[in-house]
Amino acid sequence: MAYSEVEEVDGYVGNFKVKVRKKARYVREEDCNSCAECAEVCPVVVPDEFQMGLSSRKAVYLPFPQAVPASYIIDMEACLGTNPIACGKCEEACEKVCIDYDMKDEIFELEVGVVVVATGMDVYDPTELDEYCYTRYDNVITSMEFERLICAGGATEGHFVRPSDRDVPQRIAFIQCVGSRNNAGDKGNRYCSNICCMNTVKDTLLLRDHYPDCECTVFYVDIRAFGKGFEDLYMRSREEGVKYIRGLPGEIRQDPETKNLFLTAENTLTGEVREYEFDAVVLSVGVIPRRDSALVKKLLSLSTTGDGFYMEAHPKLKPVDTPTRGVYICGCSESPKDVKDSVTQASAAAARAMTILNAGHVTVEAITAAIDPALCTGCGLCAKVCPFNAVEVDKEKKTAWVVSAMCMGCGNCGATCNQGAVTMGHFTDDQYYAQIDALLDEDAADKVFTFACNWCSYAGADNAGISRIQYPASPRLVRTMCSARVTEDFVLYAFVKGAPVVLVSGCHFADCHYIDANRQTVKRVYRLWDKLEKLGIRPERLQLEWISAAEGQKFARVMRGLEEMRQQVTAEEVEHTKKVLAEEWEKKLAREAKRKKKAEADESRDEVQVS
Amino acid sequence: MSQETKFKCLKCGHEYVEKYAPDDDIERACPKCHSNSVRPEKPKKADVAEKK
Repeated sequence: MAYSEVEEVDGYVGNFKVKVRKKARYVREEDCNSCAECAEVCPVVVPDEFQMGLSSRKAVYLPFPQAVPASYIIDMEACLGTNPIACGKCEEACEKVCIDYDMKDEIFELEVGVVVVATGMDVYDPTELDEYCYTRYDNVITSMEFERLICAGGATEGHFVRPSDRDVPQRIAFIQCVGSRNNAGDKGNRYCSNICCMNTVKDTLLLRDHYPDCECTVFYVDIRAFGKGFEDLYMRSREEGVKYIRGLPGEIRQDPETKNLFLTAENTLTGEVREYEFDAVVLSVGVIPRRDSALVKKLLSLSTTGDGFYMEAHPKLKPVDTPTRGVYICGCSESPKDVKDSVTQASAAAARAMTILNAGHVTVEAITAAIDPALCTGCGLCAKVCPFNAVEVDKEKKTAWVVSAMCMGCGNCGATCNQGAVTMGHFTDDQYYAQIDALLDEDAADKVFTFACNWCSYAGADNAGISRIQYPASPRLVRTMCSARVTEDFVLYAFVKGAPVVLVSGCHFADCHYIDANRQTVKRVYRLWDKLEKLGIRPERLQLEWISAAEGQKFARVMRGLEEMRQQVTAEEVEHTKKVLAEEWEKKLAREAKRKKKAEADESRDEVQVS
Repeated sequence: MSQETKFKCLKCGHEYVEKYAPDDDIERACPKCHSNSVRPEKPKKADVAEKK
């Protein structure tokens, strides 16, 4: 469906319901044969977005030559108006009677089994980089504008001309990494945009092919030519006479008369600082996540990396899966990449999608949450914290339930429920208490009790082990699927059992395998610190650390620090903690017993009424 | 809304000031020892009353 937007996505893997708005074209696409007679008579001229504003289009236009369907569209914001019709020339000119000013947007509701997100990327706008004077000097253009100028179907039919005087430039500079790899300032992005180096190499070869006498100079930080055949292409560009200077210009100034540009740059290989004169400058701009990516993220419960690109479920083992089951990502929506990599990833995403569609059923790990209706009060706290929207609440019936196909088993709901109504498959509360008992029954004072999330911290500990990194023998690890599974009671119980120090560890924010579940971990730890302090227990004895699977060194460093901390905790302090928290624990157990008794009584009363 | 908030590192004891809002999505670490056990200090009642 072209010229459409997804407005809502409901449901779950195998049963997605997608609401799509098909925008009105005001031209019947089934009848339009792209004869262009409507555009010829249209009096409205506006900048052509596809040509980066370097040429114009009419209010009725074909978005770009290869558009599918090959049908014209009326840009209603630019059109002179249809109510009442102020112009109507396109309608008069159209012999096939395709123009329909009354056309309305249509809403389609589709039922699909899987969703593939291939929303692409946007291009970095270099306006904010004052040193390159993009909006000040006409002859400073972006690589996208260059592309439209050098393209046979572009604004100048393939003739590369300077915007200021339409002369063919003889000396052209390319500046790399514009908006990319900027670690210093607050402008641009930290990441490498991946495609710009090879795009510039290709552009220089195109220029040398079109204009053999032109001089091309590339200012770069590093040339990253790591793909198949890329190094050969780069060497070919050098052999063709393209100059490569390692160093980025610090400023650009313009001769007001000739409009020529002067770049001051240091060649960091020779240490030479000099000024270079050029007829035109091409800014090799990086790529950024689509500006509407937050909307898609919300629609599909996706997570993003710190850069804003969608995050895969696992970088090596599930590179096109997302944390939401049945939703796959590919292309530049996941990270900047070239056409070849995008096609490869798209094929992988399609294949992953087909595995579900062909199977006809979905296998769910038996670690999902289940809610006991007898204990549930329908408060909805679990639904609020679920990153996958897997919990549905019936406020009237005061109950909630989990859609198993949507639940990924992070356990956030289990840790949030005040009523003890949530049971996590294979990670039940009782199992955790049993592990705490087992690990702290003997010599508790010698141990650093650690909750480690399955994906990162536990794997970080493994990494430390297989890398033979030395760390103290005191840590005792309990694995949780997510750090958000760690309830306040688990931590308090570990202290009740005599743990001198407790660590809660999980994935870094950008790596959370359950979208943003570990943000709840932070809130829970903050509450625990307050509580411990209120009870006269040093909050320092509860530590929080984010350790990734690759951070074996960090795991070891953290453990060495905690061992030092453990040695400073006195036996009296531990005894005091046990005494204070044991009283609290007794009260909690009494409350729970009362609640269970009440639930059982309610249940038996309901059964009597039914019978 | 973010407010200048005093943080205390529960690992090394270092105290520093940083912008903080209860719902912000920032992974925090102590600028001195890089521990993630950094605790925001709650505004004292007197400060809240003063702002009102």
